[in-house]
Amino acid sequence: MEVFVFSLFNGVLYGMLLFLLASGLTLIFSMMGVLNFAHASFFMLGAYFAYQIADHVGFWPGLIFAPILVGVVGAAVERYALRPVHRFGHVAELLFTFGLAFVIEEIVQMVWGKVPVPYDVPASLNVTAFAWQGLDYSAYRIFMLLISVAIFVALFFGLTRTRIGLIIRAALSHPHMVASLGHDVPKVFMWTFGVGCALAGVAGVIGGNVLGTEPGMAIQLGPIVFVVIVVGGLGSLGGALIASLLIGILNNLAISYDFSFYPIFAFFGVERDVEGILADLVNLTTAGIAPLVPYLLLVLMLIFRPRGLLGTRDV
Amino acid sequence: MRLMGIIACLTGLVIGGFFAAVTSTSASAAENIKLGLIEPFSGPVAAVGIDALQAFETAAEQVNAAGGVLGGRHIEIVGLDNAMSAEKTTQQLKKAVDMGLKYIIQGIGSNHALNIIKFVNKHNKRNPGNEIMFLNHSAVTTAFTNELCSFWHFRFDANVDMKVAGLVTQMSRDSSIKKVYMINQNYAYGKSFQAAARTLLKERTPGIELVGDELIVPFGKVQDFTPYIAKIKASGADTILTGNWGPDLVRLVKFAAGANLPAQFYTIYGGLTSSVAGYGADSQKVTLKQVNEYHENHDGLSADSMAFGDSYLAKYQDTWYSDRQRWLILMLAEAIDKAGSDDPIAVGKALEGLTFQGPLGEVQMRASDHQIQMQLMVSSLTGEYSRPIMYKGNDFHVAFATDGTISREDTTLPTTCDMQRPY
Repeated sequence: MEVFVFSLFNGVLYGMLLFLLASGLTLIFSMMGVLNFAHASFFMLGAYFAYQIADHVGFWPGLIFAPILVGVVGAAVERYALRPVHRFGHVAELLFTFGLAFVIEEIVQMVWGKVPVPYDVPASLNVTAFAWQGLDYSAYRIFMLLISVAIFVALFFGLTRTRIGLIIRAALSHPHMVASLGHDVPKVFMWTFGVGCALAGVAGVIGGNVLGTEPGMAIQLGPIVFVVIVVGGLGSLGGALIASLLIGILNNLAISYDFSFYPIFAFFGVERDVEGILADLVNLTTAGIAPLVPYLLLVLMLIFRPRGLLGTRDV
Repeated sequence: MRLMGIIACLTGLVIGGFFAAVTSTSASAAENIKLGLIEPFSGPVAAVGIDALQAFETAAEQVNAAGGVLGGRHIEIVGLDNAMSAEKTTQQLKKAVDMGLKYIIQGIGSNHALNIIKFVNKHNKRNPGNEIMFLNHSAVTTAFTNELCSFWHFRFDANVDMKVAGLVTQMSRDSSIKKVYMINQNYAYGKSFQAAARTLLKERTPGIELVGDELIVPFGKVQDFTPYIAKIKASGADTILTGNWGPDLVRLVKFAAGANLPAQFYTIYGGLTSSVAGYGADSQKVTLKQVNEYHENHDGLSADSMAFGDSYLAKYQDTWYSDRQRWLILMLAEAIDKAGSDDPIAVGKALEGLTFQGPLGEVQMRASDHQIQMQLMVSSLTGEYSRPIMYKGNDFHVAFATDGTISREDTTLPTTCDMQRPY
């Protein structure tokens, strides 16, 4: 039982980081209908900016300024590149963001080189907060959790309870009406995109020093973010939260419990030391396929409930 | 009149052609011996490919400065970018054939090396007289010098089994090691590490208990290592034995450091520059060991390898990490001189059994399987050093200190190779 609760806790820690990353993507999608393939690249930019700032003035200024910088870059991308592409439809936007991911990766390699950069957890938070099951949890892991929760709460209330949220949501469904009321719709879109990117930037700042800051980080994390928003329901903030936690917890449970698939094969009379194509399959365990569980979830979700957990429209 | 004109033109052509032929033969006498280096020079792992190019160019310069081979011909490295994709490796092989290259060097990625071995075997069967030789500097899959062995393939690096033998031998010297947890990447290389370690642990460290043996989805797919660290902790392991490299190693180390896991790491690739850059300050919180043939703080390196490392550092502000690129070029040069030609069959014959003074003693290209026999050493990453690891002029503030050297007797393993020779 304790292992279960322990895995649950670890799953929440990881899941909340995924949520932080996915929240910006789902925000951009729900407000603008743009599926941003370059989202994980903004996550990477956040980590690199934070490393650069931390290298000069420390972690805390980086926590503030790196996401702002990423947000500004995101807003500029929307204003000067995505907006002209917008009129050619969603496919053009999709292709544009797809290309942008490669461009950002190349730029990062040109500026910071091809090997990882030593972006470290700040010393002030790199102290043990508590120990559980023999593992020490640093204050930084708790800090990550708190930041993610704070951002979820802020986003949720910002969008549903404030005037700005009202305008943003109205701009999506009734852009002409909102424009007639005197609001600058393109500007609303630009800032939405910027804020979405800044959220990825925050995830980069607080995740980059734990996961490692290197040019491949965007490609490695990119697909999983899409799984989160599709499983959660495209455009749904609450759905993204549930999906992130689900993926984090499933991943931890699969590795901790490590069930073997052999009993299934034994049922059909397959020997343990079978040769040939079955040799790999009989030795398969849930831990061995844990990182693939989210993709399995994605496929099942698309088959049985294409709109996702809390989505309102089909993919 | 018109006829005269045509004759004059034809004569001119013939004479011109004759001169062209003469000049081209005279050029080929002093023509460079070109070695095609197929590695990733673009894409996410380009840094490793570019480092290899630098290493081979520096080694070739040393040969050329000493008068080249065959009485004055120079060695030239031709970089061929495969961007870490299997199709591009094949494309570049075809290009190398078109360029008339007789020697291919590669080492990053055993899947690419396997591609090259198959290509070269087929090519040489179909084109007698135009053979190509493959010089493997780092692709470690043991099968290449066992069941897949080929006369056209020479490996200048220890294979996985030899490296694991080095790690396990060092572990057998440390009586404080009681429980070992293995974690490897689930693909050909990781599985061969696992198989070798299972056998060698039983043979060489009967007192050590294997408390965990895990395969993970490779190449950065695992983001969160917390559940693995929890399992390692629960198993009571004091040592983690892993073949992981890249983000799969860096994250494992970072998460272990973050959780203050009281276990040490025995690795093959823990000392790669890209890994050391990735650990950051966390490298000081764990004990991390690597096995290879060289590090610059080792006492008792051969003077030649020391001097080479120094000149490399001065030229690129990079610490010389491994010595095999140097001995590959120098052994090849010696074999070409010994053979008296750059014909791959003659050179291959000369390479078989050839010895060379490596950083830790004599190394030898075993004739029976074309696997170099060499010493290894296990070293730990430490904050106390005389010379730090440098990369592109950046000081990493850590370096390696030797724990122990592994003799050739301890790294020599039997082969199943049944070599088919063309002579």
